[in-house]
Amino acid sequence: MEAWLAWARGPMFWAALTFMILGLARRLAITIWEIARAWLRAGDKEVVSRRLLAATLKWLIPTDRLGNRPLFGLTTLVFHVSVILVPLFLAGHIALWGPAVGFAWPALPNSLATLLTVAAIVTALALVIERMASPDARVLSRFQDYALPLVVAVPFISGLLVMHPRLNPFAYEATLLTHVMSANLVLVLAPITKLSHMVLLPATQLVSELAWHFPPDAGSKVGVALGKEGEPI
Amino acid sequence: MARSGKYSYQVEPKALEVTDRPRKFLEAFAAVLKFGNYHLALDTYASLSAKCGRCVSSCQLYETTREPRDIPCHRSELLLRVYRRYFTRAGVMKARLFGGFTLTDQYLDEMAEAYYRCTACRRCKAACPLGIDHGLVTHLARWLLAEIDLIPKALLVAVREQLEGVGNTSAIPVPGLRDTCEFLEEELQEMFGVEIKFPFDVEQSEYVFFPAVSDYLLEADTLMGNALMMHVTGGSWTIGTGNYDGINYGLFYSDRMMERIVRKVIAEVRRLKGRKVLVGECGHATRSAWFIPTFGGPDAPPVVNCIQYAHRMLEAGKLPLKAERIEGRVTYHDPCNIARNGRITEEPREILKAICRDFVEMTPNRSENLCCGGGGGTVSIDEIRPFRTGLMGKRKADQIRATGAKYVVAPCANCKKQLREVCEDNGLDEVEVVGLHDLLLKVIDVKGPPTAPAEQSQSEVGQASWPDNEYDTQR
Repeated sequence: MEAWLAWARGPMFWAALTFMILGLARRLAITIWEIARAWLRAGDKEVVSRRLLAATLKWLIPTDRLGNRPLFGLTTLVFHVSVILVPLFLAGHIALWGPAVGFAWPALPNSLATLLTVAAIVTALALVIERMASPDARVLSRFQDYALPLVVAVPFISGLLVMHPRLNPFAYEATLLTHVMSANLVLVLAPITKLSHMVLLPATQLVSELAWHFPPDAGSKVGVALGKEGEPI
Repeated sequence: MARSGKYSYQVEPKALEVTDRPRKFLEAFAAVLKFGNYHLALDTYASLSAKCGRCVSSCQLYETTREPRDIPCHRSELLLRVYRRYFTRAGVMKARLFGGFTLTDQYLDEMAEAYYRCTACRRCKAACPLGIDHGLVTHLARWLLAEIDLIPKALLVAVREQLEGVGNTSAIPVPGLRDTCEFLEEELQEMFGVEIKFPFDVEQSEYVFFPAVSDYLLEADTLMGNALMMHVTGGSWTIGTGNYDGINYGLFYSDRMMERIVRKVIAEVRRLKGRKVLVGECGHATRSAWFIPTFGGPDAPPVVNCIQYAHRMLEAGKLPLKAERIEGRVTYHDPCNIARNGRITEEPREILKAICRDFVEMTPNRSENLCCGGGGGTVSIDEIRPFRTGLMGKRKADQIRATGAKYVVAPCANCKKQLREVCEDNGLDEVEVVGLHDLLLKVIDVKGPPTAPAEQSQSEVGQASWPDNEYDTQR
């Protein structure tokens, strides 16, 4: 077991982390490259506006955007805050990773971290339940839409049990292994699923706006490519 | 209602004769991805779409029908599924390994229905956390469908007339246009006792005028208001006999057509050596004209909507108004194409507050307004009127009813036609749908001195024109 654990939090973790970082960097680089290409091709280069920036900021900091489904909006907000803060600022993680990266950073008090972990678990489950309960969301949902919040919840559930051994009915080391491996899985999934919005979200408003900025000759070139130039309407 | 059978709107016989449609659709899709700028957006939407359902309550159609196919995200998924399957590596690989989704004739027919049940009003965009612009997806999907000839006949016939026929969507020949304008001049003479002209082909005018050409058939008061406005403010304007139609249904079904129609506007302005495009009361004509920089290059003529012009004049104190105001409650409908992106929302309100005794807002308004229900060209499709005024227009009717207004001001040819039908079909018989210039026509004082300038200094008031970019203050 010990060897497994060492493998999971050692080579496996670094491999998953590298996969995530490179994968997200690749997606981000492609997006930036494509934004630049679209802008260079666009006939109207006036793309950025106050409204575009405002829309971008609104969704990056969505506090005033609980919107038309308030419970769902609140759930997602708490979920996001928890899943971002806990992994990065848990004292135990910092103690583990600090030496590896060469510096430490301020940690959350453990009591707050526990609270946020519980919040992450509750909201992850709530996301799934709310999805099943809402007829509108249900009809839209795919397998991954249910699976991803549950997958993300696993490292939080196992992490909570690791932090509070007295609550844990399972063997400590098995719980820890589950925690590390499920977290590794989330890292691997990040660049290849909709989780990649963690880096692409700041660009989405711009991406939508740019699509309306046509290359001046796009229409005629499509006409030529389809052999329709000169064809009567 | 007359139906062509296969679709809820009429199509030309050739649309029913196309064979091998899935392959042709995919070829068109490939070409559009290659030459257009849609690729990145589709790629982003296809991978990030969260299917959260937040868009549902932003759609006035879904709020009324509760049919899953009317959920914006559901509709967009129709096209995104095709994109994922045929134009992403993962999709192609998955299909090879496991089979699964294949584009079929039946699927194309489903798309043809779905994308014309959307008015492309883009209200749902603001509700999407991921910034997915479902209106953009509708816009693109309609273009791709058009390449396999799936186009509502009403739109196709109008564009054909504009580009290959008489030269405008209503097929009004130049003599007919001149007759109409002469008649309007006589009306104005009778109303005000002075000669107010509709000038034709005056070279080097500051503004070349492009209303929705249907105004010449349907909106006499709006046009007389336009002419009166230019008369009392001393504006230099002209109507070009080479092209006098601001309508651009290309925006609603084909970028290829849209490009040709916008270029035709630019060509007319250049022929007349005019300086700016003055768009009449029409939402989509204005939005289409905002594409002039796309197709016209760096020295393309600037675009001014007539409401922006009127507002400038009011602000500068160049607009002489009578002492009396419009009696009766007035409310304002924001046309999606000028308000959704927030570009023209305050100007009409400031004008209305200045000329009406009782102005009330409908809620929601401005960039969150509800569509009239006839956007995206659907207003021209007469055979779907029960859909437009019933399912699509019901919430709009409720919204208008709640204001208790006598006048609904809708500065858009499409919105006006649609809202009149909405009122008629929803028992709002007392409500009158008018243009903004229809009301201005009643309160402008031809002989009176200009009103005192609101804020501007006297020296500025004497100027005949403003820097071009100053009109578009809310961009």
